[in-house]
Amino acid sequence: MRILGATDDEVDKRQRSLSLNMSPRNPGTTLGFHAETLNVRCKVTTGEVSEAVRDLEWISKVRVNTQAVLKRAQFIQRQKIPKKQWQAAWLLKAVTLIDLTTLAGDDTSSNVHRLCLKAVQPVRYDLLKKIDMHDKGVTTAAVCVYPSRVTDAVRSLKAANSSLPVASVATGFPAGQTPLETRLQEVRIAVSDGATEIDIVINRMLAITGQWEAMYNEIRQFREACGPAHMKTILAVGELGSFTNVYRASMVAMMAGSDFIKTSTGKEAVNATYPVAIVMVRAIRDYFMSTGHKVGFKPAGGIRTAEESLVWLTLIKEELGDDWLCPGLFRLGASSLLADIERQIYHQVTGQYAAYHDLPMA
Amino acid sequence: VFTKSNYCVPICQNEMHFGADPSPVPFLLHQAWLEHHSRSLGLFIDGKFVCPADGRSCSLADSKGSIVCSTACAEEADISQCASSAVNGFKSWSSLSCNQRAKVLLRLVSVLGQHGQCFSELCELCEASCSTAALVRLLQFYSSWAQLRDTLLTDWTPLGVVAVVTSKDCSLYSLLLKVLPALAMGNSVVVVPGQSTAPPVLLLAQLFTGAGLPAGALNVLTGSDITLGVKVSQNHSISYVNYSGNKEDGVMLCKATAGMGVPVSVSPCIGAICPFIIFESADINSAVDEVMEAAFRKKKEVFWVLCVQESVVDSVVAHLRLRMAKMKCVTLHSEADRERLDAAVQEAQQLGATLVQSCADPTSGAQYPSTVLCGVAPSSPCVVNPCPGPLLPLMTFRSNTEAVTLGNHSPHGQAASIWTEDLTLALETARSLSVGSVWVNSHSISDPCLPVCGHKDSGTCTDGGQEGLYQFLRPSSSSPPLPRSSPVSMDYTQFGTEASPPIIPDESDPARYVSPQSHLQFVAGKACKSVSGCSVAVQSPGGGGGVLAYCPDGGRKDVRNAVEAAIKVQPGWMKKSPSARAQSLYSLAKGLESKRRDIAAAINTQTGLSMDEAEKEVELSITRLSVWAAYCDKVQGGSLPMPNSGSALSIPEALGVMGVVLPDKNPLLSMVTVLGATIATGNAVIMVPSQKYPLPALAFIKVLQSSDLSAGLVNVITGSRDQLTVALANHSVIKAIWYWGSAEGCQYLQYTCTSPLKTLRLCKDQEGKDGELNWTQCHPSFLEEMWRSAVQWKSVWIPTA
Repeated sequence: MRILGATDDEVDKRQRSLSLNMSPRNPGTTLGFHAETLNVRCKVTTGEVSEAVRDLEWISKVRVNTQAVLKRAQFIQRQKIPKKQWQAAWLLKAVTLIDLTTLAGDDTSSNVHRLCLKAVQPVRYDLLKKIDMHDKGVTTAAVCVYPSRVTDAVRSLKAANSSLPVASVATGFPAGQTPLETRLQEVRIAVSDGATEIDIVINRMLAITGQWEAMYNEIRQFREACGPAHMKTILAVGELGSFTNVYRASMVAMMAGSDFIKTSTGKEAVNATYPVAIVMVRAIRDYFMSTGHKVGFKPAGGIRTAEESLVWLTLIKEELGDDWLCPGLFRLGASSLLADIERQIYHQVTGQYAAYHDLPMA
Repeated sequence: VFTKSNYCVPICQNEMHFGADPSPVPFLLHQAWLEHHSRSLGLFIDGKFVCPADGRSCSLADSKGSIVCSTACAEEADISQCASSAVNGFKSWSSLSCNQRAKVLLRLVSVLGQHGQCFSELCELCEASCSTAALVRLLQFYSSWAQLRDTLLTDWTPLGVVAVVTSKDCSLYSLLLKVLPALAMGNSVVVVPGQSTAPPVLLLAQLFTGAGLPAGALNVLTGSDITLGVKVSQNHSISYVNYSGNKEDGVMLCKATAGMGVPVSVSPCIGAICPFIIFESADINSAVDEVMEAAFRKKKEVFWVLCVQESVVDSVVAHLRLRMAKMKCVTLHSEADRERLDAAVQEAQQLGATLVQSCADPTSGAQYPSTVLCGVAPSSPCVVNPCPGPLLPLMTFRSNTEAVTLGNHSPHGQAASIWTEDLTLALETARSLSVGSVWVNSHSISDPCLPVCGHKDSGTCTDGGQEGLYQFLRPSSSSPPLPRSSPVSMDYTQFGTEASPPIIPDESDPARYVSPQSHLQFVAGKACKSVSGCSVAVQSPGGGGGVLAYCPDGGRKDVRNAVEAAIKVQPGWMKKSPSARAQSLYSLAKGLESKRRDIAAAINTQTGLSMDEAEKEVELSITRLSVWAAYCDKVQGGSLPMPNSGSALSIPEALGVMGVVLPDKNPLLSMVTVLGATIATGNAVIMVPSQKYPLPALAFIKVLQSSDLSAGLVNVITGSRDQLTVALANHSVIKAIWYWGSAEGCQYLQYTCTSPLKTLRLCKDQEGKDGELNWTQCHPSFLEEMWRSAVQWKSVWIPTA
């Protein structure tokens, strides 16, 4: 994604592609139980990209070393973060990757409306104008709401002439403890209401008890129910028990055709942490190596400060590379993060520290 | 504040940049310190900076080639001034109480709190890697040992003036890991740092003085190369020389100090080849990230060799290829390195290696992309003779046992990193690798609480931990070391080649004439003649009595046969449980008891000692064997805390096959003491009894024969001492030699046992003078010192979350 120095043409293209700003979809892989497919097939090395047949048995062999992952996470956090205008640029980048979210019991059409308009104009116009970014289409990546609020969001965005995608959580969010039939129905309704991205939650029971094939089949069905909408699979890592399980769940979710894997609902005790993210992005990398499909990553829950968002960008840059730093492959699920980023940009532009009321609320 | 004109958001096609390298922070503090010294650092002698006697200095350049400062070049006059200052420093430092010494070390921690910034800036400038945090950890660790020396290490006393010498590529951390324990134990230290580490060491010495270290307790001499270290070691005030750095300089130091009567310990920590083993049960992603970090850092001390289980090699290579794609080139030390690298890579490619390379090869300059050489073999030149730079050879193995074989098949024994989630496999592999440090699912962790001890050719001393303190101490019961000797001029090629006097039929008084008995030696569990078939005559005590007996004239081939047998049984002996070893030693004691009269008689005829006294010696020997038997399960390591979280094990391991040349004094007791010390700790031993008094040892063969020790564990070879010393010195399987004998013999061993390195424990037999061991004593430190010399330590690091 090009923001600055982009020609008007390109900006138009981006505007048009905003509704489709996903990468090519991940078809997932079919299950097979062939002895010779026990190992990762490294298709990347040969340049051959085809639907790989992978074995769930292999999944159960994967091991993750917790302390090595923690050490890696510390390393990532120690990396220097950009300063001055580069920091402002990274922060602006982070804005374009936010799934601006409201997931509360008291959501109504009015606060969803505010959220949508904030998503369309995430940083004060005059600030953007000062740094010559006002006409580069800086919006958040999407808005994310409960299924019942999808219609409200779609209506508000349409009224604002925006093609910003609406994402809806579904499948019995956040616990996923509802019958499969109603979970599927929820997905279908959200899609028909106009959601173009569906954040599903996995059935933790299946993951914890190791019923990977059942989990695969469920996600497959969700994927079918999503139809054209992109599917983000929430693993609820805080409830999976171990990094090894996180890796396995990530891999199964991708094999079942998830376009994104997402850390958590934001409702668990432990949400998006860097170590768990490393495990997940490594799974994404391994999946890419074996199938050639790029699956996106979305950390969500507990990301509140501009500094944290910079660490997240660094993590993706270090582990997956610049390719993944686009809305099609990386999202930050957050609600209060935007306010802090906007304050930081305010500071970069004006040299002053903003009070919260200086910046428009969401 | 920025405006439109200077604002440039560097987002471009998803490329996230950090912007230009931020202008380097002006390091004001160290610059001010250097300016204060007019950018010309003197020597640090007697608590102050001193200009060198002849004013010579050499300049030190930083990584970009600009001159940082100049350091002095010490000359003979400076060395002797320094040495006398160190002797005085030792007097005042060692006379302080433990508490006072500990306080000085702790005070340095708070001084560092104030001047840490200056220190770390200077370290960074000189590329002498040692973080302030690591230094503080060292200081705190050793200050606690300084405090508890007399409580936990009773009966031990400091050596005197210790010289710590390092080569130019040795890190500051390795240097301090020797300097601080030496100081903590109450020695004074003369440091001869490599040129680039000199400025931080000088600053540290100054800070130390500020923290209350008495003048002279820590002196720093700088020079241009290792010759200064050699000159310092030759000074007669030095009691112990400890070297850290590359192998070549270490060998040169050993050879140059041969015959000086000063013990020299060497840790050639630079340039060792270390295996990085990835099993199929590993977390491949983490292992790949870590191996890249280990192998492609700019300043690395060891050469890693990546060993990957065949079943996961494709996956590992694919990960490496993907992860390395965006790595930048690594800056080399010089253009010459670049040429060597080019040649090495080309050679490997000609031998069929394939490359995984990070970025396009820059055509010129001292830069090189990170490179993995896939498909090399242990015989490939890039594995045998690795060259400095970001090169990582990758080899495959089939099974867990083959991984160990591959990892062990090198002369080096510094360290290994193993990657598996299988705990059993990890511990089994850690046990089987003959290296000093095993890092499980991690690499290059260090902490002063665990011993660092290079195995095989990687060192002759233990640093760190409680184990590493003993090198700077001697048992209080031992007599103070003898005055230093001067090397004799000798032809090393001629040593030990003198033929034994031929035995001819003699025509002494036929009436009195009883044909002297011919004894057999003990090789590979069998009493036998020497391979040459020759014998030497054993004279009766006092010299006038004529021939007492004949014993075999053992030589090179006897030693060879003994080693062959010993190396076969030693691993099995070490694997036995400590209590099984104890039982064998107890039964040996019992065997000796049953033959006490025969052996006492042998002592009586051999040494002319009265029967009473001979029996007393036998009695003492029986007790000694029982003591060693009891020690078997007391010689043990332990589990130590890791710096972060996890477990670390420190394990004592046998050295392997040892050679012992025994003294004339107390021929039975000395032999039994050494025998017990060596085999109780799991070694196999080849003993050469005193050339003068071999009969008690030969009588003891009967005891050995009737014992349940495996054949070959203990060998007794008689004959010319010099000739056998040469034979022991020139067998590479023998890991250590304990020698009691002539000054020439000591000098020969010091000169010869450098490649591969052997651990030496030398004692000159000086008739009628003090300085010999009192074998009859039973101080705990006397025996402890002995078993500690018979083991090497292994640290196993198992970090967990």
